[in-house]
Formats: sequence, C-alpha cells, structure tokens
Amino acid sequence: MKKKKFILFPFLALFLSSCLFDTDDDGLSSWLSDQGMPSSYKVQTVTVKDLSPVSAEVSRDTLPETGWYRGMLGAVPGMTFDVAYDFALDSAFLDTLGSADSVRSYVHLKLLTSYYGATALPSNYFPIEEEMKLKVSWIISGKLSKKEFNDVGSISDSVWFEELESWKPQKKADTTISVSLNSKKDSVLTLTLDLPKAFVEDVSKNAGNRRLQLRLSAPEASRVFRFYGVGHSQYYPQFFLVAMKSKSYPRLFKAKRAATLYSSLDDSDGLVLHGGVGDSLVVEFPSKPIMKALSDFYGDEFPYEGFDVRQAVVMAEMTFFRDDSKGSRELDYPIMVLAGSFLDSADTSVQRTESYYKFNDSLVVKKGHQNLVFHEGDSLTLQVTAGMRDFINRAHDGRTFKMSMTLGNSIVLDKDPYFTNRITTKKDTIKTVVATGDTMKFATGDTIRVAFPDVDYARYDFSTIKEKPATLKLWLASKRGED
Amino acid sequence: MKKFISALLCVSSFSFASMIGVDALGEEQIAGGSAAMAGRGFAGSAKTGDAEGVSVVNPARQAFDSKVSFNLNFLLDVSTADRSNSHFTNTNVSLPSMNLTFPMNDFGTLGFALWQHYSAALREDIENEEENWNAEIEYQSSVYELVPTYAIRLPFFRAISLGFSAHFVMGSFNRDLTLGPDVSAVAEDDSWATNDADVTDHVTGDWKIKNSAYFTFAAQYRGRMASYFFSFSTPYTLKNELEYNFRFSETDTLAPTKHTRNIKIPAMLATGVNYRINKRHNVMADVAWRAWSRDIENAAGSWNMSGVTKTQNDFNISVGYQRDGSDIFYDSYWDRITYRAGAWYKNWYVNDVSEIGGSIGAGFPLGRKGTMLDLAIQGGVRLTDDDRNWSESFIGIRLGLVGVSNWGKTRGQ
Repeated sequence: MKKKKFILFPFLALFLSSCLFDTDDDGLSSWLSDQGMPSSYKVQTVTVKDLSPVSAEVSRDTLPETGWYRGMLGAVPGMTFDVAYDFALDSAFLDTLGSADSVRSYVHLKLLTSYYGATALPSNYFPIEEEMKLKVSWIISGKLSKKEFNDVGSISDSVWFEELESWKPQKKADTTISVSLNSKKDSVLTLTLDLPKAFVEDVSKNAGNRRLQLRLSAPEASRVFRFYGVGHSQYYPQFFLVAMKSKSYPRLFKAKRAATLYSSLDDSDGLVLHGGVGDSLVVEFPSKPIMKALSDFYGDEFPYEGFDVRQAVVMAEMTFFRDDSKGSRELDYPIMVLAGSFLDSADTSVQRTESYYKFNDSLVVKKGHQNLVFHEGDSLTLQVTAGMRDFINRAHDGRTFKMSMTLGNSIVLDKDPYFTNRITTKKDTIKTVVATGDTMKFATGDTIRVAFPDVDYARYDFSTIKEKPATLKLWLASKRGED
Repeated sequence: MKKFISALLCVSSFSFASMIGVDALGEEQIAGGSAAMAGRGFAGSAKTGDAEGVSVVNPARQAFDSKVSFNLNFLLDVSTADRSNSHFTNTNVSLPSMNLTFPMNDFGTLGFALWQHYSAALREDIENEEENWNAEIEYQSSVYELVPTYAIRLPFFRAISLGFSAHFVMGSFNRDLTLGPDVSAVAEDDSWATNDADVTDHVTGDWKIKNSAYFTFAAQYRGRMASYFFSFSTPYTLKNELEYNFRFSETDTLAPTKHTRNIKIPAMLATGVNYRINKRHNVMADVAWRAWSRDIENAAGSWNMSGVTKTQNDFNISVGYQRDGSDIFYDSYWDRITYRAGAWYKNWYVNDVSEIGGSIGAGFPLGRKGTMLDLAIQGGVRLTDDDRNWSESFIGIRLGLVGVSNWGKTRGQ
C-alpha cells in the first residue's frame, strides 16, 4: 500500500500540473526565437559552372561471373558473352557411349521468362530467326579415381574462375545453330544448341570417370540470350549426351558449376561504358572551383581548416553534356545512369551508389527523368548528394571530388511521376511508353513497372565528358546566423 | 549493482525543468537537492542528526552521526516561462541525489553521494506552417558528481568536527535541433530537392573536470542549542568535449567538428547556523556564495544562438524551520512526523537571473526502524532581466526515502 502511494504521488502531481499549466501555441516558438534558435533551416542554392574533370577513366570487371543464377550467351556491339560449364562424366555412361552406333549431344537453355515474357518487351521482338555461329571448346581430364571423381563437385568457384581466365582448351569446333523462337505466353522458351560432331566424337572416345569443361561462345550472334542458371531447380541448362544403338539412350547432365565470361571489344582508353556488366566510369573534378564558389557565396574561407560542418549539402546535382549518337542498346528504352560516390568510412574510402534518388516530379512529367541516356534533350543530370557532403566535409585534406557512373536498367515509363513499381487499383490504366510510342494497358491488379525488369547490354560513349564542362548545383543548409 | 546504477542514471536522464541556461550548464541543484533540505528552504546544512545524510556543502556534519543512513531523492518539477502574454511549460522527473553515510565511531564517518549538480532537459516539437516553424528541439545535459566524504570529531574538542569531500565529475551533453527546410530563398522550381530533407544539428559530448576532482573542506561546531558550519569548495574547470555535426541519418559518415569548452567554476564559500529551541524546534539559515569572474561559453556553435552566457556572482540565502518528529514509537503518528517550512533567495550564476522560492515539507516515519519518507512541495519564481531568458514560475514535488540502521553495532551499544 505504501509502495502504491509512493508511486501515485508523482503521477498525481503530474496530472494536476498538466491541468494547471498549459503551453500556448506561440509561447514555445517565441521563446525559441529569443534564444536565437532556428525555426527551420534556410535552403540556398549555389551553382558551379564550367567544371572540367581532371581525369575520367573507365574500369571493367571482366572476371568470370557465376552462372548459378543466370547465364548469357551471344554478342551485342562492344561485348560478347560466353558460358562455361563443368561436368562430371561417369565411366558407366562413357562405356555406353563408346559402344554406341552413333552419338549426339545438345544443350537446352531455358530462356528467362522475366525478360522474354516481359510486358514491356516490344511487340516486334519476336519471332527471333537467326543462323547463329556457335564456337565450342572443351577440356576432358584424364581418368579420375573414384575420389577424384567425387571431388569434382567440391571444387570452389573461385579456383575454377581463375582457371577460366586463362582458358586453354584441348580442342575447338564450330557449328551453326538455326535459332527460331517465337513468343509463347505462359511457357518457357528453350534455345537448343546442337553441339558439333567433333566434340561428340571426342567425348565418346574416353573411358573411365572424366571431368568435362565446356565453353560455348557466339561472338557473331546478333543478340545476347539470357537463360536460367544452374542453380534453378527446374530450368537449369540441360546438357544431353545421347547414345544411339537400336534405340536412344539419352543422359542428362547437370553442370557442377557454371560461369559467364564477358569480354569487351572496346579498349579501356576511351570512355565507353557497357550496360548490365561491372563497367564503371570514374570522373574526378578539381576541388578549387567548388571551394571558390562556396567561398564567394558565404564569404568564408574554403576549404575549412578542419572537418567542415558549417553547412550541409541537402542535394547536389552534376549535369553533363550528352550525345547519344555514338551509343547502341538492345531495346529502344532510355537507360538510367547510376551515380556512385566515394565515402569515407572507418578510415577508408568506399565506393557507394547514391542510394537516395529524389526527383522533381513536375519536370519528370514534362521532360522525363534527367538521369537517362538515349533520351530527349542533351544533358545528363546525376545526383551526388552523399559524395558532395563527404567531399566538402573533408576538403581540408586537399582531395578532389570523385564520382562514378554505371549504366542501370532501362526505364519504360520515363515520364511517370511515381518512380515505383506498383499494383494498379484502377480499371484500364493506360500508360504511354514515350520512348517507343507504344501504349500499355493495365487491368485492376496488374503491376505497373517503371523500369524494364532486366538489364540492357548497351554501349554508351561518354567521351563528351572530357570535352564539355559540367555544372554542379548545390542545395545547402547553413548553420550561419544572420549578421 | 551496475544494473541499479544504470537504472538510476536512466531515470535521472530526465532532469530539472528550468529553461534558463540550457546552453550553458543548466539549472543548479543546490545543497544536493534532498527532499529534507528542500522542505526547509534548502537551509539546515548545520543541522546534525542521523536522518540528515550527506551534505555536499558541509561534509563535516556527518561526523556526529551514529547510525548508517541511506537517502534517495526524486523530484518532479514543472516550470512555466512567461513573457508578454506568451508562456510555455516544461515538466521533468529527475533523481537529484542519493547518498550513504557510514559512521565508524572514533574513526570518523565515511559517506558517499551521487549528485546531479547541473542539469538541462528540454524536448519540444513545433510545427507552425504560418510562421514557418518546423523543428524538434532536444537538450539533455547532466553534470554528475560522485562525492566520497570523510568527517571526524576532534579528539578533545568533541563539539567540533572537520570534514572533507572530493567531487569526481562526469556526465554528458546532448543537443539535437532537427529542422525542416525553409525554401523561401530558393526558386520555386528548385524546392523539390528539399522534400523530406530534415536536418539535425547534432551536438554531443562528455562532461569532465580538468584535474581529477575538486574538493570541499568544512568545519562544524555542534552546541547544545546552536550549531554552525563553514565550508570552502575549491575552484575547478569543467571540460565539455563536444562534437558538432549535421545529421541526415544515423548512417552518415560525416566527420564532426570537435571543440572543447572550458568552464571555470569559482570557489564556493558556505556557512550556516541551526538553532534549537525547546528540544524539537529548530530554526536555521544558510548562505553560499561564489564569485564568477568569467562568462560561460555556450554549446551554441551555430544559428543566432548566443556564444556565451554572462555570469554574475551567485549566492543563495535560505532560512528554514523544522519541528523534529518524536522518535518514540508509541507517540501518536502526527507527533512522530517531522514538519518543515522554509524560503530562499538565490542569485543564479546566469546574469540578471534571481530566484525566490518557498517550500513546506514533512517527514513521515515508516515503521519503527527509522525509515522515513520525506515529502517537500516547493514553488517560486525565477526573475530575469534580459532579452533571452524569460521569467519562470515553478512548482515541484520532492520525495526522499531515508533508511537508518544500526549496521555494525550490537544491541548493547
């Protein structure tokens, strides 16, 4: 009981006091004003024109990429994609193969429905009719003991990828594939690759347990085929060896591991970026003009002698001149350029994509997103807010401002004010794809996708960055009081 | 024990309610802020008795204790700031002090106190589109002192005692001004960039003392009727190591600007008298005085906030009355209650700020073993005469729990 009283006292007093005292609406704000405290932060904009980069450099990540999730085969301007598979062929089946009257082999690649079944895939994409030259190269190991044979499954990807980088095949053979694909709603398309006779004969010559590494390339193909990776339970790439005697004895092999190998046909000296791969362009701007513009604006010394938090960058946009004429793409959609920044974190510099994209929706409705290439207009505006914040904060150490660019996904609804995929609740929503002039109709419950669901293996030449200066626009919040 | 201390610190992170000096040190909790002292107008540091506990102003007092005592205090404080028909109210709950005394007969008395000496606490959200207010203001500052004390009666002059205490200072300072954008200076086409762009002006840091501790020396005389004390606390420099930053999110990697403010706290002289009339009636008066020679640097660091808080000589004059409760268990309960009343006049360390307050209090015995619940109700005004600080009226309720025990003694002693 005493305990209860003890607790009750403060609550009773609190209740009474809240009845007795009340805060009027203006009381607090006028008290805060008297203390010189801010009511909000004043936003000011500063524009820095004629920024010429001190360097611009493309880096490419051509290391083999895992084929677990997806695979790519074919070519687009500036790029080729090969696939490599690693199989374990057991002695029993190789014996069957050896005693067969004839042998054949083929690969079924199950094409990605997310791409080939996409609503936004242009209506004229199908049919695909093509005579595709296929280059096949392979390595067959010597006879493996039972243990060695079992160990084929446990070789780590990284070890194998390293070997693939210096791929030295035992043999090569070419063949031509007649590709004929038409869109089939609600079913998965299969690209069948009949492997050349020389390959089949070479495989069937072997006895005992063997490891087979197979690489497929189609550098002259007119497109890049996208298909499910070996990790898919149902649609993994299916490699068949068929022994034919009085009847067929097909045997399906699932790859132990797979890789996609991307090669760039553009040299690294130019500023050509490829989409859908790990290419990035790093542009470096001098500190001086940015510091001078801030100094002129605030009348303070820039760079500040220590870490500068006298003002904060609310938004930073870098605008480049753009010339789409030297580029190419798979689909006729504009492609978003993703800006990245170099941020200091735990005593090191890390490269991060500018994660928070904010846009001017009234401008988007009129002119579309401003961070697109293959788009109307002649400029490219990228948001580098986090990077600029970090740069001004630490500019005292004499650093330059660095930003990176990569090509992102295609944007289907480039003038849609809602930059988010969503399920429509309206009956018969009609959206115009500005880039193609197509109209897309959505029924209630359909998902409206702003971006195309897969990457575009595009090629874009950014050499104008070196030729024409960029403009930086800053939105700043300042702590400075009124003088 | 660790859990207990962290729970206490958690409770006490809500602090006193005055809005004066929030950017400097905040409100000072005088005389340790115990409920018993508060009940008699913060007078009575010269009053001896087992239930009095540690006095951070007069460590010599506890030499006359004969029993172990423990004291824990709570404060609920409501302040209303007024200026020309505008007002606003700030309410807080805090734990201003706790202390333990441990008498060792001829070897003197050891004591230990945890004291929230200065504190500032404010948390308000304001949104007013017409006047373009869009802000969240939060202040949390606590300067704590861990105070071990020792006092001993002189060998031949048993009515006189000497006391000594060391004050180890710690605490934290935190200020967040979370602000929305004012786009009045921006072209209409450019205002989109500030959507959802709240910015926090974040200041955080620790309170330390420049040298390891500051000290209080005291002497007390206890007579049959009158008791006196005199104490001197050494000057010291408070160090507040602050980091200033702009924050957009917790994951920002901006490096803060660092700054240390050094606050020179002057020496304090204090004296007091307690006069006993008719056995159980006491009248008492205390004075404490400090001569500030330097202004206090504010945390501010931005906007139009003042860089310094101007100081003045601070003093505290308090008078009080206490009728001790009967310690005979068989007397009526009303007779066993201790009654208190008092008033004080205080010149704050903040220039042109003075405080007039009054209080009444009572100590309710709980059971027969000497446990007591002290209750004090205080109220008053803080008067200011400058542009920044507003006058305030305040009321507060303090609760103190006192436990007295005969630890370490046999029944015969």
